Amino acid sequence: MFSINFSCKPFNLLFALLVCLFSGCSATNNQTIRATDDYPAPEKKLLVAVLPLNNLSSSPAPVGEIRQLLMSSFKQQGLGILPDETLERFIIKHRVRYVGGLDEMLAGNLKYETGADAVLITSVDLYKENPPPKVALTCRLVSTGKNPEILWMDGVGLAGDDSIGILELSLIEDPRELLNNAVRYLSTSLAAYLSGKGYLPVSRRKIIKFWPKVFYRSPVFEPGWKYTVAVVPFFNLSENRFAGEIIPLHFVNQLLRSENFAVIEPGIIRHLLLQMRITLDNGISLAGSRALFSRLDADLILTGKVFDYQDFEGSSGRAKVVFSALMIGRRGREVVWAGVSQNEGDYGVFFFDWGKINTAHVMASEMVQSALETLVE
Amino acid sequence: MVNKLTAIAKCYMKQQVPYLLSLKGFNPSLCDEEILMIRVANLANFKKLVLSSLIIFLFACAPGSSLTYFHDPQMDFAAVRSVAVMPFENLTRDSQAGERVRTVFASSLLSTGAVYVIPAGEVSRGITRAGILNPANPSMEEIEKFAGIIKVDALITGGLTEYGQVRSGNATANVVSMNVRMIEIQSRRTVWTASATRGGISIWDRLFGGGGEPMNDVIMEAVNDVLDKLFM
Repeated sequence: MFSINFSCKPFNLLFALLVCLFSGCSATNNQTIRATDDYPAPEKKLLVAVLPLNNLSSSPAPVGEIRQLLMSSFKQQGLGILPDETLERFIIKHRVRYVGGLDEMLAGNLKYETGADAVLITSVDLYKENPPPKVALTCRLVSTGKNPEILWMDGVGLAGDDSIGILELSLIEDPRELLNNAVRYLSTSLAAYLSGKGYLPVSRRKIIKFWPKVFYRSPVFEPGWKYTVAVVPFFNLSENRFAGEIIPLHFVNQLLRSENFAVIEPGIIRHLLLQMRITLDNGISLAGSRALFSRLDADLILTGKVFDYQDFEGSSGRAKVVFSALMIGRRGREVVWAGVSQNEGDYGVFFFDWGKINTAHVMASEMVQSALETLVE
Repeated sequence: MVNKLTAIAKCYMKQQVPYLLSLKGFNPSLCDEEILMIRVANLANFKKLVLSSLIIFLFACAPGSSLTYFHDPQMDFAAVRSVAVMPFENLTRDSQAGERVRTVFASSLLSTGAVYVIPAGEVSRGITRAGILNPANPSMEEIEKFAGIIKVDALITGGLTEYGQVRSGNATANVVSMNVRMIEIQSRRTVWTASATRGGISIWDRLFGGGGEPMNDVIMEAVNDVLDKLFM
């Protein structure tokens, strides 16, 4: 019978060191990418229009290449892709400038003019090529027609040094490889959702550090009810000029995963804000929220401020995310929930960067999820 | 007297305990048992001294904090149901500091559940419509106009006098110094003021380095200090 004698002290030490090494080198990213997962294609082949990518990374990114990768990956998963020429013709005809959302009119026209069943809206939240590279993508599938609805949404944030392995053998230095991993995760997630299996299970760190530092929940809020939420762009005070758009996308993504919430497509809200000339000076006013409620079938409006949303280049540095959020209820126009979340990638990290979070995207995702847990639990 | 001092000096040389002088009425003609008892008492005193020194040292290691406040004794704070937190006056180099601290303060105040805090967007609308030039220090007329637009029981104004890193030698640490005051709308009186300073370089930072506490934690501590004095 095979047995190990642990009585020997040097052996014990060696074993402990090995365990530390393995655990230190373990993956720190929260998304579990399972490339081998095979999901059956949906019964009816969806025809999807893949919109040009919305670059929110504040740096040049190969958006055309990422789009092609996404299209070929989704094709492999059994989705029909609207030909580029048809989409381009539609974009030119309707003078589409904004590719970060879909309003009702555009969704209707897209349905009747091109026959597309859904639109894939993708944003590049982070793209850094300097080794170790970093990539963050957010994708959502929105139905076309009179009432556009978000069918699926997911995001992925990866860094080349998320799981370096022993002697840095698993370190990814090629940004294309990282990009492929991100695209593979998103296409697997979409395929799983369309096959009826719901969202991919994500291993989460249920760590207290992600919890909002301060939060308030009104007694009038009933956690068991189903609410429709309108997520308004956040007031951006950070150095990242797109942080006010990225954080709301995290909220939309996490709200969709909760059974308690239905989320209105952000493109519709943006269109209404422009149409009604509602400015977000330090957040939405009660008069602005009243006007929005009058045009939207929403129970809650979510808004907030972003103070920090920063990533870092290279291997040394720390990601930082600080935001505040509040929800205004339709009934009484009162604040029903508010919270302040703040975190840095190396909070609570003491040895060998174990547990360090390398991208603001992953950290924001965890923070938003924890913030929403205080709302529904 | 000379004899006494000589005996004390001898005893000091013998015992090597520098606190023998605390013995009052020391008599050189004491028997051995009594001397032993005195020595035991001295040792206990010495231990106490070491312990109290340690406690003082540990307190000295903590970062600096100060707090001053005023509470109007005639004010019924339970009558204040809703407040508007005005933008804080920012006297620091960081242009976003005032807004950061204001947001944490407003959220913390709301999270107490004691008062309802008007959303910042609505406060901004009130400031614009009332034409308040300096929201951190509104005049009586401006407060009156503001109250006509936004229905609140009290206004909270504040200022930030210090925000950021302080350096001393090789040591650095974050520090926040803030003050707030509550103005009751009906009487236009200042009914509560408080100021707090948190963070700074501790002896620990000087001796062992480190950048002090993260700024966000320092803000939270300062805000909590101030709010503790509102609900005392």
